Amino acid sequence: MIHLTNIDKYYDSKFQRTFVLKAVNLEVKEGEFLSIMRPSGSGKSTLLNIIGLLDEPSTGEYSLYDKSVLNLKEKAKVDYHRNFMGFIFQAYHLIEEMTVYENIETPLIYKGVKSHDRKAMVADLLDRFNMVAKKDLFPTQLSGGQQQLVGIARAIIGKPKLLLADEPTGNLQSVQGEMIMETLQELNKEGMTIIQVTHNEKFAEYGKRIIRLEDGIIRKDLINQIAHVPMIN
Amino acid sequence: MIKHFFTSMYRNIERDKMFTFINLTNLTIGFTTFILLGMVVSYEFNYDKSNKNFDRIYRVQTKQEDSYPTNYCTFSPAAIRYHLMADVPEVEKALIMREISAGQGSGQFFTLPSGAQLFEKYGYFTENAIFDIFTINIKEGNTTNALVEPSTIALSETLQQKLFPEGGAVGKQVVIGKRYPLTVTAVYADFPINSTMRPTYLVSISTYETLAERKGFRDDWTSIDNDNYVLLKKGTDPRLVDSKIKDAFKNVKNFEKSTPYLYPLSKHHLSPNGQSDTLVGLGILSLAGFLVLILSCVNFVNLSLANSTRRASEIGIKKVVGFPKKAIAAQFLTETVVVTIIAMIIGLFAAQAASPLMAQILEKNIEYRVFENGQLLLIVLFTGLLAGLLSGLYPAIVLSSYNPVKVLKGKLFVGTGKSLNLKKVLTATQFSISLFMLIVSFILYNHVNFILNKDLGFDNKNIIYSEVKVQDSIDFETIRQKLLQHPEIVDASFSSTIPFQGNIGGYVTWEGAAQDQREMISRNYVNYDFIPTYNLKMMAGRNFSKDYPSDNKSCIINETALKVFGWTDPIGKTITLFGTPYPVIGVVKDFHPYSVHNPIPSYVMFLGKEELTGSKLLTVRFTPGNEQKAQELVTRELEAFVPNDPFEFKDFKVIFYLDSAISFWQSLKRLFFMFSVVTLVVSSIGLFGLILFTTKRRTKEIGVRKVLGSSVFSIYRQLSYEVFAMLGGAILVACPAAILIYKTMPGAYKEPLSSLVFLVGIALIAIIAQMTISYHVIKIAVSNPVKALRYE
Repeated sequence: MIHLTNIDKYYDSKFQRTFVLKAVNLEVKEGEFLSIMRPSGSGKSTLLNIIGLLDEPSTGEYSLYDKSVLNLKEKAKVDYHRNFMGFIFQAYHLIEEMTVYENIETPLIYKGVKSHDRKAMVADLLDRFNMVAKKDLFPTQLSGGQQQLVGIARAIIGKPKLLLADEPTGNLQSVQGEMIMETLQELNKEGMTIIQVTHNEKFAEYGKRIIRLEDGIIRKDLINQIAHVPMIN
Repeated sequence: MIKHFFTSMYRNIERDKMFTFINLTNLTIGFTTFILLGMVVSYEFNYDKSNKNFDRIYRVQTKQEDSYPTNYCTFSPAAIRYHLMADVPEVEKALIMREISAGQGSGQFFTLPSGAQLFEKYGYFTENAIFDIFTINIKEGNTTNALVEPSTIALSETLQQKLFPEGGAVGKQVVIGKRYPLTVTAVYADFPINSTMRPTYLVSISTYETLAERKGFRDDWTSIDNDNYVLLKKGTDPRLVDSKIKDAFKNVKNFEKSTPYLYPLSKHHLSPNGQSDTLVGLGILSLAGFLVLILSCVNFVNLSLANSTRRASEIGIKKVVGFPKKAIAAQFLTETVVVTIIAMIIGLFAAQAASPLMAQILEKNIEYRVFENGQLLLIVLFTGLLAGLLSGLYPAIVLSSYNPVKVLKGKLFVGTGKSLNLKKVLTATQFSISLFMLIVSFILYNHVNFILNKDLGFDNKNIIYSEVKVQDSIDFETIRQKLLQHPEIVDASFSSTIPFQGNIGGYVTWEGAAQDQREMISRNYVNYDFIPTYNLKMMAGRNFSKDYPSDNKSCIINETALKVFGWTDPIGKTITLFGTPYPVIGVVKDFHPYSVHNPIPSYVMFLGKEELTGSKLLTVRFTPGNEQKAQELVTRELEAFVPNDPFEFKDFKVIFYLDSAISFWQSLKRLFFMFSVVTLVVSSIGLFGLILFTTKRRTKEIGVRKVLGSSVFSIYRQLSYEVFAMLGGAILVACPAAILIYKTMPGAYKEPLSSLVFLVGIALIAIIAQMTISYHVIKIAVSNPVKALRYE
C-alpha cells in the first residue's frame, strides 16, 4: 500500500545541511499495524507527516497503491485527507469550541454526507466508544483518555483505510494509554492499516511490526512474531 | 455546513467575550462615525433634490471680469429675464426673483392680528412661473394666476399660521411695512429644510413695479440685483445656452466685460458663487469618516491576527480532516462579514440615536433620518460588506494557509516574521490615522480661533445696528444729539452699508490709471460719524468734517484701494465714479467689510446727506455692559421720529457670528474635534488589544525571564521600542498629509502653520501609547511568574 523509497528530509542552513530523515525505505502493507519508535527529535513525526501528506520529502519517492503522491495538487491532497486517511495527535487537538458530537461530525461535513446520515454515523461511534452520555460535553470537560477517544472517533468516522497516530498516548496515564492502544488494535483487526509513532516500548508492542528510527535512519525493522499479550507486571 | 460555520462562530464569540467585546465596540464606533458623517454629507448633497426639475433648473449669474479677482455675482439684471431669455429657444421657462427688503438686508415687517410687528425674512418679489419651475406644494388657493396681479401675495404655511391662526387666508389682506396692503392668493407648504432658497412669502413682481414706480424695470440692464432662474428644455446642454447668451452685455455701456452664464441648481448649496468652502469641508469630513472606519477595520485585522493562535488547532484539524483551504478561508471571511454587519446594524441605530447631537453641533435645525435615506443605507451596506471582506480577507488567507503540521505543534508564529511585520505596518497605519486626525483638528481649531480673533480693523464690540427705511426725511444730527444725551450712548452714525452687512459695488477710474483701466470697488455712503463710531483708524489725511463744505464731493479710500491705485501721496488725488471726480481726503487702515474669509476689497467712502431718508443702516455705540439699556433707549428715541416705519435693533455680534464662513468653520471644528476624540478612542482600543494579545503570547517568556531575574524594565523597554518605531513611521505619513489639508483649506486669511500643532499631536499619541504599554507591563510585573509558567 505505502512505498517509501530513499526518502530524505533535510533543512539547509547557511553552512550545513541537517538531515531529519535519511535514505528511508519503507513498505507498509494493507492491514499492518506499524509502530515507529525512538526518542523525540529522531524524525518520527516528520516521517508520519510525509506519509500523511502534510509534509514533503526533500528527495525520494513516495507512492500509495503504486501511484506517486509527491507534488500533489492541494485538491488531490484534500481528497486523500478526506477519504483515505485519518489522524490522531498527542495533544488530541479537539476543537475546543465544539461539543464531542460536533467534533466527531466535523470530517463528514466536507465529505458531503447528509445531516441525517451524519447523525447515524456519529451515534454509532459514540455507542461503540461508550460516550453517548458525553456527546454534548465540551472537550475540556473530558479526561485525557476520553478526549483521545473522541480524537480516534473523529479520525475514523470517515472510514479511512489508513490511520496515522502521532504519539496517541503521549499525554495519557498508562491505564488510559492502554485503553487507547486496545482500541487501535481492535480497529486494526477490523482491517484498518495503522501507523503510530511512539517512544513508549510497551505501547509500541501493540503494533504488529516495529521500526526503530535513529537520527533519521531506520536502524531496526522487526515483525512481532508473537501476538501481543497484555503485560500485567 | 453553513450551520457548522455559524455554530463555530457562535461558540468562538461565546468563548472569548472580551475579545468579541473589544472587536465589536471597535467596529461599532467605526461604523457609527462613518454613518453619522455619511448622514451629514448625504444631507448636504441632497439639497434642492426635492425639485422634480432639479437637473434642469439654472440661475443666470453674472461674471464680471473687470473686477479683481473676477467677480461671480449670483444676480443678473431684470432685462435678462424679460429680453434675453425670451429669445433663447432652449429655455422652457424663465423666472425673476427679487428679495424683498426693508433696508439693506432681506425681510419685511408684517402686522400681526394683535397689531404688533412681525419681521419675516426671505420674502421674494416673483412671478407665477415659480410654481412651474420649482416643486411647490399648494395648500390653499391656486397657482394659475396667484402672482400675476399687483398687490398679491402667497404665504408659506408657517407664516400663514402666524398671520391667520384660524386659517382661511386666501382672499384676506395682509399689511407689510405698516403701509402696504396685499391680498393673499395662495398658501403653500414650506420649502423643505434642505432647499437653498426657502421663501416664506412670495409677492407678485408687478407689485414691485407699481410700488417702487419702476416703469423701466423690465428693460434695466445695469442693476445687477435679481435672481433670474431658467428651466431648460429636456436634454439641453447648458453650455449651448451659455454660448448663446455670452454676448448679452456687449452693448451695455460700462458692462462690456460682464458675461451672463448659467449656474446649475445642483451647485447652489455646495459651492455657492463658486466658493468651495462647503465642498472642501464636506470632503474633509468624508475623509474623516472613511479614516475612522479604516482605522477600526485595521484594528479588526490586527486583533484577528493576534487572536488567531487561539484558533490554530481548529484550523489545523480542519485541514487534516480534509477541509479545503477555500472552505477555511470562507469560514473566517463569513465570520468577519457577519461581525461587521452586526456592527454596522448597531452603528445604524447608534447613529440615528446620536443624530440630534449632530444637528446641535452643526447648529442646524435638521432631523436626520438614517432609515429613510435609501441612498445612504445602500452606501453603508456596500461599505459594510466591503469593509468586512477586506478586513476578513487577509486574516482568512493567512489563517487558512497555515501549515497544519506547524499549527498543531503550536509553532504558529515561530519563524514567520512576515505576519508580524504586517502587524507592524497596520499599527503604524493606525498611528498615522490618529495622528493625522489629531493634527487636522488642531489646525481647524487654530483656524477658527484665528478668524474669530482676527483683528477686523474696527471695534465690533458694544455696537447695535438697525435697518431703517424712512419715508420722509429727518435731520440726523437732531436724532444723534437726542441719543447722545444718554450717558450710555457713546456715538451714533448712519451709512448705506455696515461691515458684514450689505455691499454696493461700482467701477472707478483714478488719477494715473491707464486708458481703459477700471476697478470694481465697494462703496459706502456714510455720515460724519461713521469712522469714529466704528473706531476705524486713519492712515493718512482726515475724516469728513463739517468744517469743509466741499467734503460732500470728496472721498476716503482704504489701504487696499491705495495699493491698487498705486499712489504714494494719495491726499488730493482724484478717483472718478460714474463720470464724477472725487478728490481723496483720507485713507483708512484696512478693515474687513465682509466675511474674514474673503480678501479685503478696494473700499471707498463717500459722504451722504446728513439726513435720514430711504433705506439706511443706523449704528449706535454704547458703553460696555449696557447693551440691553442702549437697545431700549435707542428704540424709544427713534420710534418718536419714525412712528410709521418699523425697525428693529440688533447686536452687531449676531451678524458677526452668523457670518457663514465663521459658523461653517466652527461647526467643522467641533465635528472634527469630536471625531479626533473618537479616533483616539478607537486607536487606543486597537493598541490595548494588540498589546494585550502580544503580552498574552509572551506570558511564558516573561515568566521565564522573571524567574531568571530579568527586570521588568527590559520587557518594558522592548515593547516601547517596537511601539515607538511604528510611531516614527506614522509621523512621516501623517504630518505631510495634514499639511496638505491645511493647504487645500479655502480662505484668504489663514494662520501660518505652527510646529506646536504637530508636536502636541505627536506627544498626545506617544502618551497614550506609553500608558497602554505601562498598563500591561505593570500587570505582568505584579503577576506571579509561577502562574505564567503554568499557562497552557
